[in-house]
Amino acid sequence: MTNYVMEAKNVYKTYCIKGDKKADIKEVEAVKDVSLQIRKGDIKLIFGPSGSGKSTFLRCMAMLEFPDKGDIYLGDECLTKPGVDLNKARARIGFVFQHIYLFRHLTALGNVELALRQVLKLPKEEARKRALDALTEVKVTDCVNKFPSQMSGGQAQRVGIARALARNPDIILLDEPTSALDPELTGEVIDSLRDLAKEGTTMLIVSHEMPFAQEVAEEMIFYDEGRIIETGPPSLFFNAPNTDRAKQFMTRIINRTTR
Amino acid sequence: MFEWLIQPPFSTWIIEGLSLTVEITLFGVFLGLLLGTLLAIGDIYGRKPLRGALAVYVEFFRGSPLFIQLFIAVYTVPAILNLQIDHYLLAFLVFGLNSAAYQKGYIKGAMQTILDDQMAAGLSVGMSKAQTLRHVILPQAYRIVIPSWTNEFCSLTKSTATLAFVGLFDLVSAGISIKMWTFQILPVWISIGAIYLVWITGFSKIMDIIYEKKKIPGVELLMQ
Repeated sequence: MTNYVMEAKNVYKTYCIKGDKKADIKEVEAVKDVSLQIRKGDIKLIFGPSGSGKSTFLRCMAMLEFPDKGDIYLGDECLTKPGVDLNKARARIGFVFQHIYLFRHLTALGNVELALRQVLKLPKEEARKRALDALTEVKVTDCVNKFPSQMSGGQAQRVGIARALARNPDIILLDEPTSALDPELTGEVIDSLRDLAKEGTTMLIVSHEMPFAQEVAEEMIFYDEGRIIETGPPSLFFNAPNTDRAKQFMTRIINRTTR
Repeated sequence: MFEWLIQPPFSTWIIEGLSLTVEITLFGVFLGLLLGTLLAIGDIYGRKPLRGALAVYVEFFRGSPLFIQLFIAVYTVPAILNLQIDHYLLAFLVFGLNSAAYQKGYIKGAMQTILDDQMAAGLSVGMSKAQTLRHVILPQAYRIVIPSWTNEFCSLTKSTATLAFVGLFDLVSAGISIKMWTFQILPVWISIGAIYLVWITGFSKIMDIIYEKKKIPGVELLMQ
């Protein structure tokens, strides 16, 4: 019995970017020997330069991408073994996308309800009730019957969080949930995440929202060039990171936010 | 000049011809939609040999004249199989198979504009690929495809004129027969043309209304 909710063991992932010409294929080693353990109730935050592979790693954790090498565990179950029912596993993992990715033909309610009906096979009434509860939790009850295109970015992303939350997943993975939003809309999404944190939701978040990180994260993970460079509590990074690269990055980020 | 329009048997011939034209077109576009969807899914998710076979199918039905396809189906296929098959049944099938070859392209195109992000979203909530196709991808793709589908309907309706080549009694066959009895060549073809025009325009208008009602708020903006 492990006491981890999720664990990544020596995960590798390389993907190809196709250029204009056919021969122009660039290989990007997005994840190189990354290991990570998450316990119940943990809130961990991954940050680092863009293009360093953080999102790819998170998608591997959710098994939306299959790792080239290494193992992903959800509780005791190894998801990278052949023959595992990945749909069942993904049903226990919540995922929030950077670009939100709501189902565009469904209202907010429909977005949250769909998996409750199709995956958990709940009866109609119960699915509706749980979906409404989830939407209430992230405070978007005024959008229940709106379509994604009729919501603001902040509302849409909170619906995205409700959709990930409604199944009571073991963990929620969030891929830069605020970086595609206008600055004045990030606050409402951060507030929702803060509420989740208070309730003890297990979360792995890719984000550069530093004040939020300082407030809720138990551990911050600095990720660059496909590797975890440094790990530690927020106080370590905000005072004196050990590695030069983390030091440089923090200086740049803090300058940006105070300006 | 037009008095034959209300005279039996000519009026009955027109109704008979029109009903074959309408029936075979509606059957054709619906069978085409069903098969076209399967072809599109096969083309996106299938392995190379399957995709190759689908490409041959599509090129055959798009690249050869419909009346030759009808000719082969009605005369050659039963002869080879040494079977008596109803000519109407064969013609209905040819219209469906032909339309599927065109609709595959429309449906595949519509699916591809939404596939990447919506499939990831569907998988992320624990649905299987098949569930996501059924509940997320296809409902959106069908809405997007309605205008192309209406075009396909218009073009298929006019293609029913080829049925006369294989001796089936469509609207054009009716015109040919009436013309031979009445010698009112121009009035007959003007009337037949007007019937096509009214039926196609009416149906297209209905499809436009359905499109406006069913379209997903904001999605047409995303597609531009």
